[in-house]
Amino acid sequence: MSKLEYSDGPILEIDRLSISFFTRLREIPAVMDFSVSVMPGEAVGLVGESGCGKSTVALGVMQDLGKNGRIVGGSIKFKGRDLGEMSVEELRDIRGNEIAMIYQEPMASLNPAMKIGKQLMEVPMIHEGVSEDEAYKRALEVVTDVRLPDPERMLNSYPHQLSGGQQQRIVIAMALMSKPALLILDEPTTALDVTVEAAVVELVKDLGKKYGTSMLFISHNLGLVLETCDRLCVMYSGEAVERGSIEDVFDEMQHPYTQALFRSIPLPGADKNARPLVSIPGNFPLPHERPKGCNFGPRCDYFEAGRCDAGDIAMADVPGNDRHATRCLKFQEIDWNAPITVGEQKEKTAPGKVVLKMDQLKKYYEVAANALFGGGARKVVKANETLSFEARESETLAIVGESGCGKSTFAKVLMGLETATDGEILLDGQNIEQTPIEARDTKTISDVQMVFQNPFDTLNPSMTVGRQITRALEIFGIGDSDAERKNRMLELLDLVKLPRAFADRMPRQLSGGQKQRVGIARAFAGGARIVVADEPVSALDVSVQAAVTDLLMEIQRNEKTTLLFISHDLSIVRYLSDRVMVMYLGHVVELGDTDQVFSPPYHPYTEALLSAVPIADTSVEKEHIVLEGDIPSAMNPPPGCPFQTRCRWKSEVPGGLCEREVPPVRHLQAGHQIKCHLGDEVLERMTPVIKIAAE
Amino acid sequence: MDPLSWTGSIAFLNPLLFAALGLLAISILIWILIGAVTPEDRSITNVGGTLSLSAGPQGLAALAVRVTFLASAVILLAYIVLGLFMGTGAGIIGALAQRMLPVWIALILLFTLSISFKRRLGLYGKLFDSPIGMIGFGLVMFWVFTGIFGAFDMIITHDPLAQASGMKNKAPGTPLRGAEEGDFAWYLLGGDNLARDVFSRMVKGAWEVVKIAPLATIFAFMVGITLGLPAGYYGGKLDTFLSFLANLILAFPVILLFYLLVTPEIVATGLPQYMAVVLFAFPMVFFGVLLNARYRTQPQKNLMILAVVLVPLFLMYMCLINAAGSKIDVWPLDFFDVPGGILVVFVSVVFVNSPTVFRIVRGLTMDIKTRDYVAAAQTRGERPWYIMLWEVLPNARGPLIVDFCLRIGYTTILLGTLGFFGLGLPPESPDWGSTINEGRKLLSVYLHPALPPAIALLSLVLGLNLLADGLREESLRD
Ligand SMILES: Nc1ncnc2c1ncn2[C@@H]1O[C@H](COP(=O)(O)OP(=O)(O)OP(=O)(O)O)[C@@H](O)[C@H]1O
Ligand code: SF4
Ligand code: SF4
Ligand SMILES: [Mg+2]
Repeated sequence: MSKLEYSDGPILEIDRLSISFFTRLREIPAVMDFSVSVMPGEAVGLVGESGCGKSTVALGVMQDLGKNGRIVGGSIKFKGRDLGEMSVEELRDIRGNEIAMIYQEPMASLNPAMKIGKQLMEVPMIHEGVSEDEAYKRALEVVTDVRLPDPERMLNSYPHQLSGGQQQRIVIAMALMSKPALLILDEPTTALDVTVEAAVVELVKDLGKKYGTSMLFISHNLGLVLETCDRLCVMYSGEAVERGSIEDVFDEMQHPYTQALFRSIPLPGADKNARPLVSIPGNFPLPHERPKGCNFGPRCDYFEAGRCDAGDIAMADVPGNDRHATRCLKFQEIDWNAPITVGEQKEKTAPGKVVLKMDQLKKYYEVAANALFGGGARKVVKANETLSFEARESETLAIVGESGCGKSTFAKVLMGLETATDGEILLDGQNIEQTPIEARDTKTISDVQMVFQNPFDTLNPSMTVGRQITRALEIFGIGDSDAERKNRMLELLDLVKLPRAFADRMPRQLSGGQKQRVGIARAFAGGARIVVADEPVSALDVSVQAAVTDLLMEIQRNEKTTLLFISHDLSIVRYLSDRVMVMYLGHVVELGDTDQVFSPPYHPYTEALLSAVPIADTSVEKEHIVLEGDIPSAMNPPPGCPFQTRCRWKSEVPGGLCEREVPPVRHLQAGHQIKCHLGDEVLERMTPVIKIAAE
Repeated sequence: MDPLSWTGSIAFLNPLLFAALGLLAISILIWILIGAVTPEDRSITNVGGTLSLSAGPQGLAALAVRVTFLASAVILLAYIVLGLFMGTGAGIIGALAQRMLPVWIALILLFTLSISFKRRLGLYGKLFDSPIGMIGFGLVMFWVFTGIFGAFDMIITHDPLAQASGMKNKAPGTPLRGAEEGDFAWYLLGGDNLARDVFSRMVKGAWEVVKIAPLATIFAFMVGITLGLPAGYYGGKLDTFLSFLANLILAFPVILLFYLLVTPEIVATGLPQYMAVVLFAFPMVFFGVLLNARYRTQPQKNLMILAVVLVPLFLMYMCLINAAGSKIDVWPLDFFDVPGGILVVFVSVVFVNSPTVFRIVRGLTMDIKTRDYVAAAQTRGERPWYIMLWEVLPNARGPLIVDFCLRIGYTTILLGTLGFFGLGLPPESPDWGSTINEGRKLLSVYLHPALPPAIALLSLVLGLNLLADGLREESLRD
């Protein structure tokens, strides 16, 4: 099948597009007055918080809005032809052949019952009618192009036999099979680990250059967009608010929302004193509750009543810049270089005595090697291997690592949901590692509490917010009467800065950030002294992440809590923690003060992690370290050093020691330890991964 | 008195109805045929944002279906409205419509109230957005109201057990011989083999069904839930054992069990009563655990609430299982006995339904127990039963409510089946199953005694299924 004729001009031109969804209650305008154009070979980023309409734009381009979605205004032109005027057949041709889309969840695009090779070969066989041999050759070529090891074996396997990162590469390969003119990527790496994400992003970038494909890259992560795209469009609540080249938008932003967004994300190049986080006040408006005039008005620092809320605001070009436009009435009046004004900086209280001590903690799971018949060979999964550390009063200890590194297992053992295989956990000098939660006394239980990751899962959907907090108070034996407990519950809502009226609400009436606050209130109900926060903000939108993080830190300051902060996001770890512990495949590979961990010498894995973090700052220079392959399975760890399959420093260790022996723990400076065979002189040679370029 | 014809003076509606129904059938056929041959059409958006649906042949056919369906519905409504005013003047249909007056009033009240407040009524309110759900709910409530009013002797025309001389197997609309002042003068749906009024028996039968089916289903659910929750929550050996048991029961020829249960020798050993002891204890255990899990942290309040709930339950339980002169005769305050037949009904319903409920609950529990709020409950030291009953069960309610509706339908059929085999309810009971069974014997000669209860059973079960469909559809949306 031939591709569309095309001379020049933009590949994709979206002009004043409006899309609405029609539910039985009302019309929900999901996208309003949205324009963007993608030139040949250009990569355009689309950033915004969840619910702002990014994916709707993508589905609109694919003309795949489902039953109740409809384009209610504007046009989408692909290679100069209006997609809205094409027939069903023409559209079917264009989808997959000229426009390809990659989704967040790789399995959504793969057929689980078909071999990879067949799925790939289908594309050119259907769309171009090529022979089977030719199709196989092409499949082999793209699989090699997406840098998968052993391409022939890959073609011969089923999707479930591959890891998440490999699946996503196959999806990318599939999209590239028909050499599309436009590739739409909808959060393609959100489901992947940081180091795997870095490799996939690198790949997408290189392939875009090699094939000359235009890209529409949708993401909520400004750092990722900076690394992949040439131009950028920021969306807020259904509208494009700023549009321009990466340099213009990052360095000369002209919209208050873009500015607020940048100020609310931590940068790993700076700590909290050098660059405090400023959260955006208020909440994202729901589509049917948008204010009159500027959508960002209620949360904008520069809001001017009578002007900003007078009527619809159009995109206006920023004079002097190339194709840079903003949707703000006052952009020429605002002093964009004014320094950030922040409230008083509270000094951190110094860490006190040791409250929690882990010594050589081990947790092994025994799993049946053969799932169907329980008997026979049993395998041991070493989820935690000789974990040792101390945590002090009012200290924040960050635990960093990717999936499967044993973070959650460690939390489970600490909480008493599992008992340790070996080693000790001392809480105030008392052993608790063998005491399951049923056998712990109320005091111990209320002392060690947890904040969970997923805000949509953390509260029981069928119970009011107040009831859930009150229940925690009842269980912890706080208050003598119902009235007293109710009072305490309302105080807890005050503590997490929620209105008291929320006590009678059901969780579904709360936003993600608000739910997470309730989760925090619940954890502190019994006056917790140790709080394990398992990625408490990673599922939240950037604009509320800062507020929730600050809240956690403030409560910690006041209550002198020990915070164990589990995260894979090194930016936020740098921002809030005193000490950092890096884990890989159940091992603690590095442990030390935040400054020690974030500056060389690094453990090779820490170095790679740091390099993988996308940073939304054009003045930062980063060394690119791309790790080969995926994280090995904990069921089948490599012999010797756990990191040896992906380590780029391995050759510096003589005699293949890395492949034979698990490295011992080495103490470098006071309190800084790494688990690596590298010699001192090699460690000396390491240079910082993140450098702020000289202005 | 003259015999009544079916439609009396509103017979002029009949040709209209037949025409409308015929057209409806034809248009449905055409619509299906067109749908099979023409491709899907696409809504086209104009520049201004207005939408024009390309009115192809498919659109026309769909319109025809809608119009003819509406016409049929309007004519059917006309029968009822005219009948309401003309009574026996409009023949049997008219008389029936008039007798059902309380049911119509109740239905109209219920629907207007529900629709006007539907936004505030949660899932129940959403039901009124789905036509399928509304039809189903209407059918179900029709029989529920019929049953309730029938229980107050409001709708029935005669005593369902009384036999009138000369009315044996008489056709519908036959005037009652020697009717006295104040007696209803016709057997509207005819007389049965024992010269009893078929219509009144059908109405009374509705009460039997409405009374027993939901209650028995609730018992089945309690058993299924109480076993399914721990199986799903703990998993492991307990789960393997209970699942095996459930499969075993599902494979067991249940009808054999029922026959055994009513055999006099077995009854004499007291076995059915012992089964009742176990079965009827479930609600007490269920509510006891439920409340204790919630209030255990406040011992005094706990004790009070448990006493308030459990003491009446216990009294009822003892009255239920205790029967003077039988194997279990230990309790002095015996207010009522349960007829042995009812017990068979309960045991069989629990036996047939609880394994399936068990499986649904187990699956849902396995899914829900991985949620963070369950982990949060665990980490604050909640006991397993609190987590199962207060954290897991409420969040499994959607699928369970849908299944409950379906299962009442099965139970109704099972009740009919049991009645048909002469098991369960007493022989003169007016319940639909027994009535159909009696009618069966003379089916080739007299159709009319068996038909009304059969249609009643069919429409109730259909209504329950539609209701379940509507609920499922609505609970999935937004
Ligand atoms: N109950 C269990 N049985 C067997 N293996 C387990 C069990 N729980 C955890 N594991 C294994 O232990 C290893 C560590 O798992 P853990 O859940 O602690 O990782 P994690 O770092 O929290 O990952 P993520 O960030 O994805 O949540 C994994 O390989 C996992 O498969
Ligand atoms: S128009 Fe007004 S409210 Fe909107 S972003 Fe600009 S200054 Fe803020
Ligand atoms: S021990 Fe060897 S393989 Fe492991 S991190 Fe150090 S250099 Fe790399
Ligand atoms: Mg985890």
